[in-house]
Amino acid sequence: MTEAPAISARGLRRVFGNGVVALDDVDFDLHRGEVVSIVGPSGSGKSTLIASLNGLETPDAGEITIAGERIPLGRERVWRRVRQEVGMVFQDYALFPHLSVLQNMTLAPVRRGRMRRAEADGLAMDLLARVGLAAKAHARPIELSGGQQQRVAIVRALAMRPKVLLFDEPTSALDPETIRDVLEVMQSVARDGMTMAVVTHELGFAREIADRLVFMADGRVIEEGRPAALLDNPRTQRLADFLRHLLHR
Amino acid sequence: MNLLYDNRTLLLAGLGTTLQIAVVTLIASIVIGVTLGVIIGMTEGHWVRRPIRGAVELLRAVPLIVNVYFVFFVAPQLGIALSPYMAAVVSLSLWGGANATEIVRGGLQAVPRHQRRSARALGLQEWEVFLLILLPQAMRSVLPALAGLMTLLIQSTATASLVGVPEFLQISRLIVERTTVMDGIDPSFGVYGFVLLIYFVLCSPLTALSRALERRLARQAGRPVAEDAAQQAAALPALS
Repeated sequence: MTEAPAISARGLRRVFGNGVVALDDVDFDLHRGEVVSIVGPSGSGKSTLIASLNGLETPDAGEITIAGERIPLGRERVWRRVRQEVGMVFQDYALFPHLSVLQNMTLAPVRRGRMRRAEADGLAMDLLARVGLAAKAHARPIELSGGQQQRVAIVRALAMRPKVLLFDEPTSALDPETIRDVLEVMQSVARDGMTMAVVTHELGFAREIADRLVFMADGRVIEEGRPAALLDNPRTQRLADFLRHLLHR
Repeated sequence: MNLLYDNRTLLLAGLGTTLQIAVVTLIASIVIGVTLGVIIGMTEGHWVRRPIRGAVELLRAVPLIVNVYFVFFVAPQLGIALSPYMAAVVSLSLWGGANATEIVRGGLQAVPRHQRRSARALGLQEWEVFLLILLPQAMRSVLPALAGLMTLLIQSTATASLVGVPEFLQISRLIVERTTVMDGIDPSFGVYGFVLLIYFVLCSPLTALSRALERRLARQAGRPVAEDAAQQAAALPALS
């Protein structure tokens, strides 16, 4: 054992009220600086898994440690502190429509006391410039395209200076033309060494950017390993079927 | 109309009372509505919601006039003697408060769920999520409906005349009756025409404001929230 993983989950189990088993004894590690792609058919539990990693979902059983510290499941106060270090980007961007782009980015860092307003403004402007949206700092989210909103959502999460960033199908709601812009931003964030877990259907991203690929189905991890190896030579029939289905979509 | 001019002091006093009731009940309604709407909005699945929702449903289901009579005639039997004015203010405030609660609750419900989720994901505390993210969005969609409620409240002040509050309608009726008895002429057309005109002048700008707010909201948002608010305003119960 060298360094504790950024996030480590053991034996996660989650059964929804309707009896659906979303997570069935899932183990998951995310090491510092690592980029992990999680793929799987819908209903496989992949979104529930990453939402559990910052406490937005509460597993019924299991153990989660963040940077070596065990975080009690469902202890909201502790998870709120964790969320400052473990940011999240959603499928539907979820920018705050009543605030400007800049306010969207500075609200949480300032309120949580992570930085002063001037510093937060400066950081936000730098980040916006990096994703080509500096001119939109004072625009409302509604004035932005879907791809632009998702880029803002990513830099909003980065503005907290998190140690880990979770992505829940960040490109699934986007037009094909704008997907690339968002993937490029994610790629550059990954290159900067951010620790990332990305639920996605973008196999190109998984292959080129991710260090590791995790394939889930029916609430379990079916296969994991180096992306190219898994994608080219799936060991299980489940993954082979899933890949064929995805390619022929 | 000489008759109106001769009675201008009385009419103005009546109008003053009407406006006073309207303003007081509006403020009370908004205070009640925001408080209870927020409580309902924040306590998903909690038992506190039940009595509040029950009271809101009751007040919205019962004709306003029944509500006014109930407060005026029943409250004294419970040892609370209310003047006609206070009885009118209390019953109108309860009724307006119930409607405002429903408006605020609807506005909060119309805020997409992912807003709360993404605010929590940024490490915001529960009260910050509510006060800084959910409530401002809800209030925007709620404003047109509240302007609509204001119109209804002004109209509803007329029910105060039924328990003898000397408000605008009551004064006007007294003038009509007195003139009919004393002078042998029936000035209904002129006096009630005037009453009608005044209510129209008071309420139509508010209706226009409500529509303008709705349009602005639809323009700004372009999302379903706007429709919800418009439907909320339209769904307010008609006065009996």
